[in-house]
Amino acid sequence: MITLTINGKTVRAREGSPLLEAIRAAGVEIPTLCHHEALEPWGGCRLCLVDVTRPEWKGWAKMVVSCMYPAEEGLIVQTHTERVVETRKVVLDLLLARCPETPLIQKLAREHGIEKSSYPPNPEPTDCILCGLCTRVCDHIGVFAISSVNRGAGREIAPPFHEAPPDCIGCLACAEVCPTSCIPYETSDAKRTIWNKTFEMVRCPTCGKAHITTAQAGFYAGRNGVPRSYFETCDACKRREMAHTFSKLSAGAGGVR
Amino acid sequence: MKRIFRVTIERCIACGKCELACAFAHGSEGKPSKTRINIFRRGPELGTPVVCFQCDDAACAAICPTQALVRNEATGAIEMIRERCIGCRLCVAACPFGNMLWDEAYHCVQKCDLCGGDPKCVPFCPTHALEYVPADEAALKPEPLVWEETARTGR
Repeated sequence: MITLTINGKTVRAREGSPLLEAIRAAGVEIPTLCHHEALEPWGGCRLCLVDVTRPEWKGWAKMVVSCMYPAEEGLIVQTHTERVVETRKVVLDLLLARCPETPLIQKLAREHGIEKSSYPPNPEPTDCILCGLCTRVCDHIGVFAISSVNRGAGREIAPPFHEAPPDCIGCLACAEVCPTSCIPYETSDAKRTIWNKTFEMVRCPTCGKAHITTAQAGFYAGRNGVPRSYFETCDACKRREMAHTFSKLSAGAGGVR
Repeated sequence: MKRIFRVTIERCIACGKCELACAFAHGSEGKPSKTRINIFRRGPELGTPVVCFQCDDAACAAICPTQALVRNEATGAIEMIRERCIGCRLCVAACPFGNMLWDEAYHCVQKCDLCGGDPKCVPFCPTHALEYVPADEAALKPEPLVWEETARTGR
């Protein structure tokens, strides 16, 4: 454990852990959009910027993204200096210009005193903020079905060649982690559609309810060394089976009918 | 000493108080139909409460791609870390006992976390069908309650 100063308060943190962790543990709120506890830090949204300095730097401070900067002994962190707040505002101003109709961005911008973007509005408003969470979660699972394509203003998130991604297993993780919920999908007990690909569902043989796709079952059956049928029965039916087993066990001991 | 649930199904009268306590404690919209403890109703006033076993070698934790299901060493419960859940629902399919529940309202899974070592359902059980006892006592048959003794002896 090491000791550092956050907004004048002395806190302890694990050496090398992201600064953001220590800042949040100290109870300081700073906004993030591309951060997810389950994934490696990425430093994409630039909202978690902070000023760091040391006594020996003689007043010089540098701005870093706290989600990627490792906690070090004796570091002095300022989370809301004038230039940090100003930079955050610029980032949100740009995001608001890109996504003028997205409630999450509108809310964050308003919290930072921006009602209307000072940049020309995006002629094609989108909800995607290019935070990369969807592609990173897909890579983390080991599927690699989607990625960011093109560069600069034309950058977007898409499956290869804008076609139904052959590798996608339809787990919906991308849609679930998306902070602006901008990845459309449809799911029912019969089929699921995402990224223009339609999946068969693993349906419970008893009641027909489904939680995962057959592609998902195949992927994880191979990885975890269990048969695909392992995933078939739905949770409610499994609970009923278990209750039956218990009743039978008790009945065997002369217990219940 | 680690404590676990002891469920004496002969005592369960399927009143649903444990489900209600769970629904209120965990805020799954406060609906008794969406709780982490579920009574399977075998007939009028006959039930089998079903709740997570906190398995030693848990399938849910093994399959989770983001290590969102972690054992709390203090309570022995496998807890779901909301910030790490990516909503892939694999644990729901993987749990062999059906005790991982998909919550459509919150878009995450719900599972019993023993309420941090003090299960809220237990004190609400009027017939002591549900008890929270030290692990080494859990396999013992519970002491008969007064009404059970009365039913047996007729006095």
